[in-house]
Amino acid sequence: MNIDELLLTAELAQLELTESESVALAEAVSQMVDYFARMQEVDVDGLPPTTHALLTENRLRPDTVRESTLADNLLESAPDVEDRFVVIPNVL
Amino acid sequence: MESYWKSVLSAESSRAAYQSAVTARNQQLGAFLEFDPERGAAVSAEHCLEAVNRGQRAGDNPPDSALATVERLPFAVKDNIAVDTFSLTCGSRMLERFRSPYSATAVARLCAAGATVVGKTNMDEFGMGSATENSALAQTHNPFDRSRVAGGSSGGSAVAVAAGMVPFALGSDTGGSIRQPAAFCGVYGLKPTYGSVSRYGLVAYASSLEGIGVLASSVDLTEAVFQVMRGQDEMDHSSLATPAELVGASSVAQTGTRVGVLTGDLGLDDQVAAGYQRSIEVLQQLGYRFERVELPTLEYCVPAYYTIAAAEASANLARYNGVRYGLRPDYAENPEELVRAAREQGFGPEVKLRILLGTYVLRSGFQDQYYLRAQKIRTAIRNDLTRIFQSVDLLFMPVFPVQAFGHGAEGLSPFQQKLADRFTSTANLSGLPALALPMGLENGLPLGMQLMAPAFHEHRLFQVARVLEEELPPPVPPQYPPLWQSHTVPE
Amino acid sequence: MYQSFIGLEIHIQLLTQTKIFCGCRAAFGDEPNSNVCPVCMGYPGVLPALNQQAMHMAYLVAHALNCTLAPQTGFDRKNYFYPDLPKNYQISQFAAPLGTDGYLDVEFHRKKKRVRIHEVHLEEDAGKMIHAGDMSLLDYNRAGTPLLEIVTEPDMEIGEEAEMLLQQFRRLVRYLGVCDGNMEEGSLRCDANVSINRRGEGLGRKVEIKNMNSSRFVRKALNYEIARQQEILDRGGTVVQETRLWNENRDLTETMRVKESANDYRYFPEPDLPPFNADGAFLAAVEADLVELPAARKERFMRDYALSEPQADFLSDEKPLADYYEDAVLQGADPAAAAGWLAGDVRKMLNRYNTALTESPLSVQRFAGLLMLLAEGRIHGKIAKQTLEAIFTEDKEPELIIREKGWEQITDSARLQTYVDEVLAEQARVVEQINSGDARPLGFLVGQVMRRTSGRAEPQLVTALLKQSLGLEIVHVLSFGGAISGTRGDDGLIVPGDLRDLKDIIDQEVSTRIRFEEVQLGRFLSEEITPADWATLIDAVNTRLHTGDASGIVIAHGTDTLAYTASLLYWFFADSTVPIVLTASAVPWEPISERAQSGSEAVRNLRAAVERATSNVPGVHVVYGEQDLSPINLKFERIGAESPDLPGPFRNWNQSTPVYRGRPVVEGPLELDLAGLTERLERTIGSIYVAKIYPGMRGDALIALINAGVRYFILELFDTGTASLRETPFSLKQAFAYGAERGVRFFCTSQQEGIVDFSEYVTGHELWKEGAIPMGTLTTETVYTRLIASLIASDDESEVLRRMEEAL
Repeated sequence: MNIDELLLTAELAQLELTESESVALAEAVSQMVDYFARMQEVDVDGLPPTTHALLTENRLRPDTVRESTLADNLLESAPDVEDRFVVIPNVL
Repeated sequence: MESYWKSVLSAESSRAAYQSAVTARNQQLGAFLEFDPERGAAVSAEHCLEAVNRGQRAGDNPPDSALATVERLPFAVKDNIAVDTFSLTCGSRMLERFRSPYSATAVARLCAAGATVVGKTNMDEFGMGSATENSALAQTHNPFDRSRVAGGSSGGSAVAVAAGMVPFALGSDTGGSIRQPAAFCGVYGLKPTYGSVSRYGLVAYASSLEGIGVLASSVDLTEAVFQVMRGQDEMDHSSLATPAELVGASSVAQTGTRVGVLTGDLGLDDQVAAGYQRSIEVLQQLGYRFERVELPTLEYCVPAYYTIAAAEASANLARYNGVRYGLRPDYAENPEELVRAAREQGFGPEVKLRILLGTYVLRSGFQDQYYLRAQKIRTAIRNDLTRIFQSVDLLFMPVFPVQAFGHGAEGLSPFQQKLADRFTSTANLSGLPALALPMGLENGLPLGMQLMAPAFHEHRLFQVARVLEEELPPPVPPQYPPLWQSHTVPE
Repeated sequence: MYQSFIGLEIHIQLLTQTKIFCGCRAAFGDEPNSNVCPVCMGYPGVLPALNQQAMHMAYLVAHALNCTLAPQTGFDRKNYFYPDLPKNYQISQFAAPLGTDGYLDVEFHRKKKRVRIHEVHLEEDAGKMIHAGDMSLLDYNRAGTPLLEIVTEPDMEIGEEAEMLLQQFRRLVRYLGVCDGNMEEGSLRCDANVSINRRGEGLGRKVEIKNMNSSRFVRKALNYEIARQQEILDRGGTVVQETRLWNENRDLTETMRVKESANDYRYFPEPDLPPFNADGAFLAAVEADLVELPAARKERFMRDYALSEPQADFLSDEKPLADYYEDAVLQGADPAAAAGWLAGDVRKMLNRYNTALTESPLSVQRFAGLLMLLAEGRIHGKIAKQTLEAIFTEDKEPELIIREKGWEQITDSARLQTYVDEVLAEQARVVEQINSGDARPLGFLVGQVMRRTSGRAEPQLVTALLKQSLGLEIVHVLSFGGAISGTRGDDGLIVPGDLRDLKDIIDQEVSTRIRFEEVQLGRFLSEEITPADWATLIDAVNTRLHTGDASGIVIAHGTDTLAYTASLLYWFFADSTVPIVLTASAVPWEPISERAQSGSEAVRNLRAAVERATSNVPGVHVVYGEQDLSPINLKFERIGAESPDLPGPFRNWNQSTPVYRGRPVVEGPLELDLAGLTERLERTIGSIYVAKIYPGMRGDALIALINAGVRYFILELFDTGTASLRETPFSLKQAFAYGAERGVRFFCTSQQEGIVDFSEYVTGHELWKEGAIPMGTLTTETVYTRLIASLIASDDESEVLRRMEEAL
């Protein structure tokens, strides 16, 4: 994989890579991707993909309210909170 | 042993002695990231019944014997499984200071049965690794040889059990993360049927592959803990109830059990190859019938596994962005900068690698070639195993091609470690249960093999393991004898 | 010529109790970050648990949109980073949306269209991000609210159509009870894609439009965007494929900058949720909740309860009202009366007390009870209104109210007759006056009887009894100019006159029961009518209708403008219980001989009109020769008076059965006095211009008229609605664009009989796109007077348009 592909992928994943990191990661990613190429050897014609190995039955939850008792705890975990809003910087 | 563990936390004096002994051992081994039995006691009292009610189990309630077995036992929890008020670092800088506001259903069920969390164990960051060397927060060593790794990613949990700090610990297994460290450290390690234990509270790495499991010092305990944890959970819609016909299936030894073994060059090192042969002989002597089976898809397990795991990880780890919790960089001008900086500073190289890999295999234009193909290969692997389990009751396999390896450059490269997941990832791709069991020592290091069974047939695993346990009890690391031998507790 | 393509992406928040994947309340307006839990905040280790009701509602909507329902569906992860999206992926549906290939039928300006629905899928909503200075504030209360996305095919062409589809869709989801449809609050959101191309060349380059927070903005933004793209193509440029935002302050769309790479969503199956199988029981439950939808209900109302289209429209618009109405009918209320009351007095009361029907003291039982009291004649109309008011103020049963207040009507004619006899005996002088031919004091006598009964008698019954006792039938004959009232001068020319001579003749002929009361409105020929004359006529008719003594009103009119006056009166008095009969004559009465006099056209028509006026057939009529014509769509086509064998010069266009009675445009009592009415009519008419399209007509002539203050054009087009729109000075295109910018309306009729619906030709279709409003089967004269009446009855432009559309 070339650096451009890597950077585009990193952009999608919101990862910022330093130059040295990109070189090392490009190599490691390429190594894996090359290795993945061996999957082409398998004849998968007519095989459906397995998306949920053992899950076949419907699961639905009744529409009943469960009080949000943890709301205040969750706000305590937030790095920056003002008037119950989670705050992030946004200099325009 | 049982009386020791049942009473160790109940009296102030024994608790203090226990605490100092664990602290001492932990300083040498790095099993725990957080050790706080008092905090654990508070959790049990306050939150667990509520959590259990919330996660009402459908059917298959644990037998009384299992509840009795776990009652009052201390246990350790891998630091990617939520325990209310405890840390939930996942071995990552990203969550270094994060405290969980809730408990995993599996933990809550154990606490409700009277067990007590004593601490959180070290692990490879977000479960990504086979040596616990990818932890950003601590180093973990093998109690049989501290120059060697404990295995991973549930290395901390394996060490805590092997070094006698707890009778059992919870781990998670995405591609072998329970069974491989269990094998490296000489303990039992169960990866249950996918969905049989609720994943609610398990920090997701690869959702369709992983589950919570047990590392323990005995088969009985492994089974009891599993029985207490398992069962459908309304907080996890991928959790599954045991099929009615298998509820209460007995693990009493049965004659004529057919066991499948792999043949040919399995790529094992000499010790492990010899150990595999020796184990087969032991089992034969015990009256098990062996059948050679073919698993033609075995060599495609690893690429398929890593493709799927990385893809799911790339989405599962997207939530860590420094906005609502976790690492927040010192300065950023706008949301995008904030998110990028948080992820840059918060994630280690292996995590970044897998996120990139996963993002790449899902990109339009590449998805069919990688992700979709891997999912189809997964079907082929499941078909192989379905066929195999028509002729055998269990499958007997190595866990890992080598024994515990050395730290850093002395050991395996990250890439070699990944290739070595071939025996373990099979169970994850197919969702089937597998149990790693200690098969004695080889060169002073534990040797572990695994049994795999059809879905929801964990009882078959325990049945054989129990027979073997009498022949080959788990090894004890010489430097870490049981605590009841090293300090006295009031009876 | 360009073709435009509009597709919509509509999002609705489903009205579930809880969020889609956790038990947090799905509520609005609560404190920030109060309806949150680890699941909807995207905490480590949590998992989604699918809400049964969200799935149910989603299938319900897909079903109502005639979609193919997926037997197996599932969820996928849509990956993108945004601070308000807690997991940085959205659980949505990609591979197997729950509904596909549906449709919704819409109608705009008489053009019916089936808009195809590409797919319907369920997903989770994001939180809200508010910008404040150099930071952004995040509230996750909304995060995880169930959101249903409906994607249409690009089947619409203009903003108006999209607006209509949106309104219809909104009504649908409100009917189903799955969404409140509030665009301002964002529970219904709409994005669009727009492309244009030369006709026949397929889709053009797609531009996405976002940030349209009302259906009105949707219309404006799309029309703006179509014009913008057209201009680019006109200049030979190419449209950039991009996302644009509607700027409601500047009334234009603006480029939204987005990174290229942000568009690869890397969908893959959600591993945390098992696939969903829509089994028999699930689908049966969906089916059971599929209520009768608005369009079907409207049709049924018209069919089962014989309601007019506007009435059925009004009643079926919101489900609670439609249910209320049907409930009332079921409990015994007369369907027509119930419809009238709900649209009229009940609506007024609800407005006055600012309450919703279902929350008001007027329960269905009370409403039905009230109407039954009225139907049984136990109370009369005026008392019924008082009772309705009392229900609102006193919150009591109507039965109890009329008992407590002693409002029960005296229905016993025999008992009333004694009051009548008493009054007649007492008022001998007045009786004498009436008997001598002056019927004016009849109203006074009615008042006397009413006073004796404390208002509990039905005034119409009292009037009837009085007339009967006095042997009196009163027909007011209003002379409104024209040849019928005129005379032929010595030079052979017809000059205006009055009806005096004619009256004498008719007087001799007609039975003594009938008394004329001729009212002289004007001495003019009908071609000389001014707005002030119309005001005088309307005022005169109105006064006579409300004194209650008239058996009928006859208006002697000229032929030339009869079609105008007749339809104007209809739009004012269509619900009149007293017959209003217009008649005319092509030539004046000429005193040649006795025999000729009684056989002349003027005499014959006036006689027939008087007969009709006493026939108790309510509504507005036009009598000419042997014909009883409808006042609307009347056409003055041919002078056929010379030979009595030929049909008359008048004919109704596009009418299989004549219409005499209906819902007037100006409802209720006329609130303007004569001066006020005159002023309004003059002003109103000054803003209207009626133009007949002809080859060589210059578009800039219309522009000049617009500059001179014309705001409404009635364009009489060719055939089904065609006109030149080519880029020449003789095209209307410029004028349409110029007018559209200034809010000028173009109502279109045809020079030929038939329907104007722009359906046949490309030019018609273009007119429709330019915003011309086809007036269907209505004639120019009828549309013109309808517009006058609509302008007088309406407080704002949207009401005017609504009234004009209701005519169709």
